[in-house]
Amino acid sequence: MSALLVIDNLKVAVGDKPVLNGVNLAVPLGEVHAIMGPNGSGKSTLAHVLAGRPGYTLTGGSVIFDGRDLLSLAPEERARAGVFLGFQYPVEIPGVNNVYLLKAAFNAVRKHRGLPEVDAFEFLGLVREKMKFMRMDESFLGRAVNEGFSGGEKKRNEILQMLILEPKLAILDETDSGLDIDALKIVAQGVNSVRGPERSILLVTHYQRMLDYIVPDCVHVLVNGRIAKSGDRTLALELERRGYEWVSEEAA
Amino acid sequence: MSTALATRIAEEYAAASSELPVRVVSAARRELAVKALNAQGLPVTRDENWKYANLRALERVRFAPPSVQPGGTASATPLSAAALPAPIAGYERHTYVDGVFSAELSSAARADVAESAQTRERAHSGDARFALLNDAFADDTARIRASAGALACVELLFVASSEAARASSYPRLDVKVSAGARLNLIERHVSVASDANFVNSVADIELASGACLTHFRVQQLGARATWIDTLNATVEADGSYQQHLVHLGALAARSTYQVRLAGARSAARLHALAAADQHQTHDAYALIEHAAPQTLSEQVFRGIAAGRARVAFNGKVTVCAGAAGTDSRQSLRGLLAGPEAEIDVRPQLEIHTDDVRCSHGATAGKLDDSVLFYLLSRGLDPDTAQQLLKWAFLADVVAKIDIPDLKRSIERALAGRIDVAADLKELL
Repeated sequence: MSALLVIDNLKVAVGDKPVLNGVNLAVPLGEVHAIMGPNGSGKSTLAHVLAGRPGYTLTGGSVIFDGRDLLSLAPEERARAGVFLGFQYPVEIPGVNNVYLLKAAFNAVRKHRGLPEVDAFEFLGLVREKMKFMRMDESFLGRAVNEGFSGGEKKRNEILQMLILEPKLAILDETDSGLDIDALKIVAQGVNSVRGPERSILLVTHYQRMLDYIVPDCVHVLVNGRIAKSGDRTLALELERRGYEWVSEEAA
Repeated sequence: MSTALATRIAEEYAAASSELPVRVVSAARRELAVKALNAQGLPVTRDENWKYANLRALERVRFAPPSVQPGGTASATPLSAAALPAPIAGYERHTYVDGVFSAELSSAARADVAESAQTRERAHSGDARFALLNDAFADDTARIRASAGALACVELLFVASSEAARASSYPRLDVKVSAGARLNLIERHVSVASDANFVNSVADIELASGACLTHFRVQQLGARATWIDTLNATVEADGSYQQHLVHLGALAARSTYQVRLAGARSAARLHALAAADQHQTHDAYALIEHAAPQTLSEQVFRGIAAGRARVAFNGKVTVCAGAAGTDSRQSLRGLLAGPEAEIDVRPQLEIHTDDVRCSHGATAGKLDDSVLFYLLSRGLDPDTAQQLLKWAFLADVVAKIDIPDLKRSIERALAGRIDVAADLKELL
């Protein structure tokens, strides 16, 4: 069986500056892969390029998602096809209610899959259940998207959206940054709850701390815009111990 | 103002003067106004506070109101109530057609206008050149008196039906709220029969000690109309004047808002929104003068310009010497929703005392790309995402319009303006 996500020699620049210099990566369905790497190695760029953020220039390579050319799809088409990006810095949107956004997103995905829209009552029931699981306060329902949320609340909100949208591929960009240990456990519990044979997860992280709670099938180290090394979860522990420098040296 | 325009105003006035009612404005005051206009001229876009206004229609306007012209009102068939906006629950409606009261289209009788001839004729303050034009030609007055007791709720509906090339209309509000009295006033301007009206409106408002006025002003004139409005208010001690200003219609609209906080602990709050599209111009100038201690002012403006529209808000706050303990807040934000649109927001602050608290912010820009991307990454299509963000941009100002019927009608009108898609309708 072919992988859900196949990245082949992906090259991306921001302006004239190359950021990704030939990334090769395959994520089979049902697996959790972690992308680690030092600051500036291109981790977040990779996450954003997969989700379709404008501002990047594709200079080579391809990305096949679920048998389709991912890079030819608009951001909203990728979302509807089952790609979800959990943001490192979720934006605040004053004036747009949380539940409204959730429902609009949920129905956009359902419509794409040919399913009927869910009525408000049924949907609210689903949101309440997932909120309870993420230990989020009821008052969240009436608030604007991320407005006045703490860092931890914003990250929990990202995971809540993922639980409701049930993507095929979840890309979580530094979801662990800025979280205390309790919040990290709740977020990890949310991610683990959606692990399964029908879904793949790409964890982008700088530290191995989160991988204690979300155990990956595979760890890749991104250095200078290339995957310099891949291995099992013990690679993350080795990075924790030895830092990133030896990988760069080894790759060179 | 061109000499030709001044001459034409004087000539039109001379021809109409014998028929203009002196119970509305005395002949002496009308003469003075015409003289002053001749000397000062009407504003032109070279004037600092008028540079964003669109005054082009003036050259083609016939200034005399329909009531003093042969043939009377422009519309051949009398207006029916069905052609007007739905009434607002709990509000008595006074309808004025081309500036003149219409008993048939009103739900209540009005106070006797003759009385206002005996009342002191207050001189306009500040920039009042268009008010002078109103003085010269006004043929009726909406006179509202609220005295202490139950909250009074009144809707003034101004219907413009004349084509500007044939006649103009001069809404004139004279509002006094007595000590301790409370008034909710809705003022709406709509077009019927013609969408190319010239409306030159004047409002003179006085709030006595402890008086409270909440004033909802909605400008929904037709697509080719010009609306010019001059409002002056004074607020005595402990009085509170709150205005919600909504600009939706007209080709060219300009509001001049001048409020003087004359008594200690008085307050003025202006919450304004404008949604302009195509070739519309929505321009507002707001001046709040803190002339007494412990006074409070707030200006909130949200404007969206799409198409080739221009939206301008020039908000000025003056804190006079002696107005210690002043608290003044300004939040002015404009959103550019089209590559050829224009936004001009300008906060101005002039302080002549030390003990003040002023917070002022002004921004103008496009929709934030990172916010748009966030919505797209959740599967919303670009159109829906943009509409949602435009809607959200106006939401806090709309939410403060706390009359359900009115809020709903404004939301519907806004939804039409920013093309809210069917799947956003559940917001309404």
